[in-house]
Amino acid sequence: MKKIFSVIFFFATITVFAQAPKGFTNMKDTTAFKQKMESQSKLTNTMESDFTQEKYLSVMSENIVSKGHFCFKKTNMLRWEYTTPYTYLIAINKDKMFIKDNGKINKYDINSNKMFKSINEMMVATVQGNLLSNKDYKAKYYESDKFYLIELFPVQKAAKDFLKSIQLYIDKNDYAVVKVKMTEPSDDYTSIDFSNRKTNQPIGDEKFIVK
Amino acid sequence: MRNLLLSSVVALLLAGCTFGHYGKLKQVPAPASGDHSMIPKPIFGDNFNSFLFKTNITVYGKDFSGLLMTKQMSPQDYRVIFTTELGMKIFDFEFKDTSFTLHFCVPQFNKPKLLKTIQRDIEMLLMNNLQEQNFDYYTDQKNVYTIAKAKSEGMYNYYFTEIASKHLVKIEHSKKRVKKTIFTLGNYVNDFPNNIVIQHCDIKLKIELNLLKK
Repeated sequence: MKKIFSVIFFFATITVFAQAPKGFTNMKDTTAFKQKMESQSKLTNTMESDFTQEKYLSVMSENIVSKGHFCFKKTNMLRWEYTTPYTYLIAINKDKMFIKDNGKINKYDINSNKMFKSINEMMVATVQGNLLSNKDYKAKYYESDKFYLIELFPVQKAAKDFLKSIQLYIDKNDYAVVKVKMTEPSDDYTSIDFSNRKTNQPIGDEKFIVK
Repeated sequence: MRNLLLSSVVALLLAGCTFGHYGKLKQVPAPASGDHSMIPKPIFGDNFNSFLFKTNITVYGKDFSGLLMTKQMSPQDYRVIFTTELGMKIFDFEFKDTSFTLHFCVPQFNKPKLLKTIQRDIEMLLMNNLQEQNFDYYTDQKNVYTIAKAKSEGMYNYYFTEIASKHLVKIEHSKKRVKKTIFTLGNYVNDFPNNIVIQHCDIKLKIELNLLKK
């Protein structure tokens, strides 16, 4: 019991003394926020949105920008499709994963591959914002007048090798994830901005099957 | 008869990849010393530009795809980074003069043999330090190409430049008369190949680069 209190105290200390990113302050009521996120997630059965992905590499003079569209349907169905400047599609349908590239389709069993399993978890959690309950990350909570910002730090060594942090920007009005930024140990990063979001509009199951 | 036919077909198929046609090349005089006009020019050495390719790697039946970026940092210094389409960095190489630095590689891709092979392939494409090598020059029977041949670490590299377009269209990396790797550079737009295919003959490895942005 004493140990649990020490752990709670340790994380509470981190939250209190952590320096908030520019424009943000430490979140006042994290319990209420988490409850609201959870209830919003329960109310969301489908979601779709456009996205713009930017890859920043310190050695390159320009960011690499790619755009596309994603669809999500409960439970565990996701279609993530790049349309410019290249076409590339990942579709997750329960325990199956399809990748369509160059007209070629590869089909994988998610449970057969640890990497696919974590890609699946990460992508679904990113669009739903439910990485918060994942024990593989340590979270810090911030807010500004318009957004909540959750900063997640991987706990496991294997993940730390290629990921320094994940930042989730969440709209205060509707608790939707509007931006995700994944930073590597070298400080190079990938940011994904979501736009034209629609929730709970009908999406056919065929969207999540690639032929 | 059937066996003979089969063996001929197999021999023909193998010849396409493995056996060079170097005996049929006709040697031509090398230019005067100090004249570098016949030495192939590095395709990525273009005003420190960066190049972005959609890339597919097929190794022993497994497909990997992603984005490959090259950036010339200084005249003999190139950075080459490969990421997945989702943005995850797979490897980050630096080629400076004759030295190589591995800045980063995800553990799943960090297989010494594979990494070394890809490193060598990229090194060949970057064509660093070609000015310092000794070349012999040839033409083919139809006089379509100028072929520059250089010896490097016991291997021969043949650079095929199309005489009409002055485009480097092929590099063959060979051991004696046996081709080991063929680099095909095609679909030239504004004097830059928009499609590059690296086909290994002795291992099941193929790398295809399609230019997205220059």
